[in-house]
Amino acid sequence: MLRATGITKRFSRVVALDGVDFAAAPGEIHALLGENGAGKTTLMNVLAGRLRPDAGAATLDGLELRAGSPAAALAAGIAAVHQSPMLFERMTWEENLALGAMGAGSGVRLALDRVANDARRLAERLGFELPAPRATVDERSMGERVRLEILHALSLDPRVLILDEPTAVLAPGELSAFLDLLRRLRSEGRIVILVTHKLAEALAVADRITVLRHGRVVATTAPASTSESALARLMIGELPEAAPEKPAPVEAARRVLLEISALTVEYRGNRALDAVTLGVGAGEIVGIAGVEGNGQAELVEVLAGARRPSAGRIALCGAERVWTDEIAVIPQNRDIDGLVLDMPLWENLLLARPIRKRMSRHGWLDRARALELCRELIRAFRIRAEGPGASAASLSGGNRQRLSVARALAQNPRVLVAHNATRGLDLAATAEVHRTLRAFAADGGAVLLISNDLDELLGVCGRLFVMSRGRIRETRPDERTPEALGLLMAGRWH
Amino acid sequence: MLDAFLNSTVSMATPILLAALGELLVERAGIINIGIEGAMLAGAFFGLAAAYFMGSLALGILAAMGAAVAMNAILAVLVVNLAVNQVVAGTALDILAVGLTGVFYRQMFGITGKAFMVRSMPRLALGPLARLPIVGKPLFEQSALVYLAFAIVPVVAWVVGRTRYGLRLRAAGENPAAADALGLGVYALRWQALLASGVLSGLAGAFLTLAYANTFVENITAGRGFVALAVVIVGRWNPWGLALASLLFGAAMALQFGLQALGTALPYQLFLALPYALTLVVLAGFGGGVDAPSALGEPYSRSS
Amino acid sequence: MNARTESARDPFALLRPLAALAAAVALIALVLLALGASPARVFAALWEGAFGNWFALTDTLVKSTPLVFTGLAIAVAFSGSLWNIGADGQLIIGALAAGAVGPMLGGWPRPLGIAIVLVSGAIGGALWGGVCGWLRARRATSEVISTIMMNFVAMQLLSWAVHGPLMEPSGAYPKSVAIAPAARMYMFAPPSQLNPAMLLALGLALGCYFFLFRSTAGFELRALGRNRRAATFFGVPAGAVAIWAMALSGALAGLGGAVQVCAITHRLYEKMSPGWGYEAIAVALVARLDPRWIVASAIFFGALDSGSQAMQRTEGVSPVLVQVIQGLVILILLALDTPAFSRLRESFGRAAEASASGESAAEGGDA
Repeated sequence: MLRATGITKRFSRVVALDGVDFAAAPGEIHALLGENGAGKTTLMNVLAGRLRPDAGAATLDGLELRAGSPAAALAAGIAAVHQSPMLFERMTWEENLALGAMGAGSGVRLALDRVANDARRLAERLGFELPAPRATVDERSMGERVRLEILHALSLDPRVLILDEPTAVLAPGELSAFLDLLRRLRSEGRIVILVTHKLAEALAVADRITVLRHGRVVATTAPASTSESALARLMIGELPEAAPEKPAPVEAARRVLLEISALTVEYRGNRALDAVTLGVGAGEIVGIAGVEGNGQAELVEVLAGARRPSAGRIALCGAERVWTDEIAVIPQNRDIDGLVLDMPLWENLLLARPIRKRMSRHGWLDRARALELCRELIRAFRIRAEGPGASAASLSGGNRQRLSVARALAQNPRVLVAHNATRGLDLAATAEVHRTLRAFAADGGAVLLISNDLDELLGVCGRLFVMSRGRIRETRPDERTPEALGLLMAGRWH
Repeated sequence: MLDAFLNSTVSMATPILLAALGELLVERAGIINIGIEGAMLAGAFFGLAAAYFMGSLALGILAAMGAAVAMNAILAVLVVNLAVNQVVAGTALDILAVGLTGVFYRQMFGITGKAFMVRSMPRLALGPLARLPIVGKPLFEQSALVYLAFAIVPVVAWVVGRTRYGLRLRAAGENPAAADALGLGVYALRWQALLASGVLSGLAGAFLTLAYANTFVENITAGRGFVALAVVIVGRWNPWGLALASLLFGAAMALQFGLQALGTALPYQLFLALPYALTLVVLAGFGGGVDAPSALGEPYSRSS
Repeated sequence: MNARTESARDPFALLRPLAALAAAVALIALVLLALGASPARVFAALWEGAFGNWFALTDTLVKSTPLVFTGLAIAVAFSGSLWNIGADGQLIIGALAAGAVGPMLGGWPRPLGIAIVLVSGAIGGALWGGVCGWLRARRATSEVISTIMMNFVAMQLLSWAVHGPLMEPSGAYPKSVAIAPAARMYMFAPPSQLNPAMLLALGLALGCYFFLFRSTAGFELRALGRNRRAATFFGVPAGAVAIWAMALSGALAGLGGAVQVCAITHRLYEKMSPGWGYEAIAVALVARLDPRWIVASAIFFGALDSGSQAMQRTEGVSPVLVQVIQGLVILILLALDTPAFSRLRESFGRAAEASASGESAAEGGDA
């Protein structure tokens, strides 16, 4: 019996897990269902020993697992397949497998042939195809990587197998074989934990389903006593009673400000973006829903000018431009992509090129004006800071986001691209960001809101697109329910 | 003439090869040790001092290894445990080593440097091989350290390429976070690589003072540690490539001696600069990152 | 490392270099004791040799000057996380360029001659550093390795020059033809070597400060150094910055070499740098990469260099003792700047606060 009790995990000010209890028994497939950010992956990382919880403990058959030790979890028989595989890119796939249990025979010699043979046998059983001998991992597609990682985990002969969204990248033909494999593992008396947001899969294969929302367990149920729509509602939560003010319906005559056509980004043999076409008009807030990792980050990078597309074009007000200062971006990882934490606030404003240009004269920064702008923004956006000279690191998460939003608006852009702009913010701060976006649109700007928070998208956006595997599709009005969107996000339209 | 050239080629190549093999292990584990020059220098001085005062060659070699291992241990604390910038820390160790050996040298032997000499390591003739014409003496009648250096090449190749330990070491240099997730013990692997490299750098230093010069002069390593860094790049992180590159660079350095005798118009500095220039050309041609371990030089600290 | 913002957040930022110096001095005292020398007398001799009289003082300033140039070179490069270990080579090439051009300037107006010599040095250093920046930007080559290699190529180039094409006509010694009098720096108060180049160094330090902290390009460099991902996300061209920043860093070091030829040696010798390019790393780190502090830091290390000669005369301790100090200072400073150390300090701080009165501890803990 794998049991976790009272698991709480905070990341700085964000509570990822809040007193989660979870149990799975041998011979059980237990699905862990939830939206992005619900805490599924965090819980899995705690169980696999990759994260040390702030409170709570996990036990396997009554024995407490040493927190924060991947080695201890492995030794106890807990193997995990991660969503973004932890592979060694420049090594061959045999070497990657040999780092796990496949090479674990005794002796100092590295018996890669034996590893390959073992892998071949196992792969046959699973119906997986293996890469060519001695092929390095960096040339493999995402699907091949996940398959390798599954092989790797199974080679450990684990008592507990945790799989994080494993089916997202499996080929259709592989899926049924994979689900059969899970059932076989169950019949062998193992514990299988399937982390997923795909309702159908959970219903098809799981014995029990635990639903997480905002870091808490909202339900644990058997598939027989629930339905796809009930699960979707549990995952996403009820919409607020009084829906927030909806933007006016789109008028066809609106001038299109941002026009993206057939935008394609090829990356490591995969199509991160596949002929994305989309237009945003003046005064409009257009949303893109989707599970993280389906091309959103690449789209934002292209719009920010940080990545060159392989094909397609971006036009602004009808004029084609490769790089434009009239698109302002609020990046999703404000601490990594958005801010330079150990620089003062006023210098962080300068990171945005249009502001930098405006505040420079003959190559020199107009420090007084930049400070003045910073002071203004601190006031206007009620950023709680000691002053323009305080470092970005000294701000709380919400205030860092305010700074990021303030900077984007201070660029006087025509188009605002916001990527998960309210992630990790509390309700008040979220509402404030939404007000800002609406006000920007009301002034005739175009907003592209990319998010995996359905409440936010449904509440704020006029038109709504769904993105999956690099492709994009506009939703019909009748699809604008959390249930339907959940299904679309899971790729039910390909 | 040719045998003298071969002989000095081997003498020049040996310390570089020893140090480079150690650097290979360290870099495979993801660390760049700019301090290797300092570790060699410490080994050279303390090896000679021990051999001089205790009258034992074996103790001299042990002391050389001990000194270089101590240098690398300081580096390990800083770059492995504290995750500081590897380049800056390594450079500081180089400076420190020049200072420490210089101060001790003057203090122990005065500025005159009176007869700070030891008997050279004996040369071992490998039976009939040593009687071969031309190549006999330079290749098969050398000090034990020369044979050792070249004997270590297949050992390192085997350990890194063919053992499970070597695979773990490479994993630590490719993706330390993933290696940690597998419980491979990244810190321990990096420490071990640095300690092993310390032993080899110590031997490299010992060769300089106990088998080659038989005395110490300040900064006797004269950039050989940096050449070893270059050898690892030119040898494409492959022990056999390292052996080849060491011999090539050794030959370039040996040429300068022959040149005056030959009376060529080519300045000897050209050959002294050759190893470094060649490295630059290789870097410009192949790029730096093709075969280098992915996480080379990046500080890694486990977050919880 | 912007001293202003750092000190606003971290009151220890400026104390740490001093702590590192103190710790290094303490360690050195132990080494000296182990060697049977008296630390007090050695340090007294150092002080005497550096500041004890007019000659010592001017010598200290003379020895500090190249360190200001190379220290600034390091500060510029390190600010952008470009690990230029090649200031020594860049200085040598700067000297070489100055020494090659200098003899041809006979009959030129003196200010122009001096200017040409200095500019040649800066250009030489800029090329030497810029190549490494180019290798990094366009060939994905670590600037660490390339700058080290370039140091040795520069050394051999200089050696060849003074043995070959630039050798003085008598051919007796490996040194070059002297530069023309018109290309020699003015002297303030002969026989002391005080000269206007020191003012140039001071001005450049201020210039570098304004460049790094007030110019758009300097901002882009620092942003890249602090958070490469964020800077490139917002369109800072990392490759172009690497090239010009390495060239600028090289130019500063090269200028240091040219000044040495122009004001002090007037010709080239086989060894032009006693390791100023490496010492500069200590100079720059102690100054927290802030150009304004580099002058003070350079005078400190210049004083060590100058005092070490006297120390050797009176105490018989090798002047390379100062390199022990340099190495130790860098190592200790690196350790003191790690998060591990600040956690340690915080836990000590908390313990101290806890033992103090409860109320003030609660207030202090929030800061």
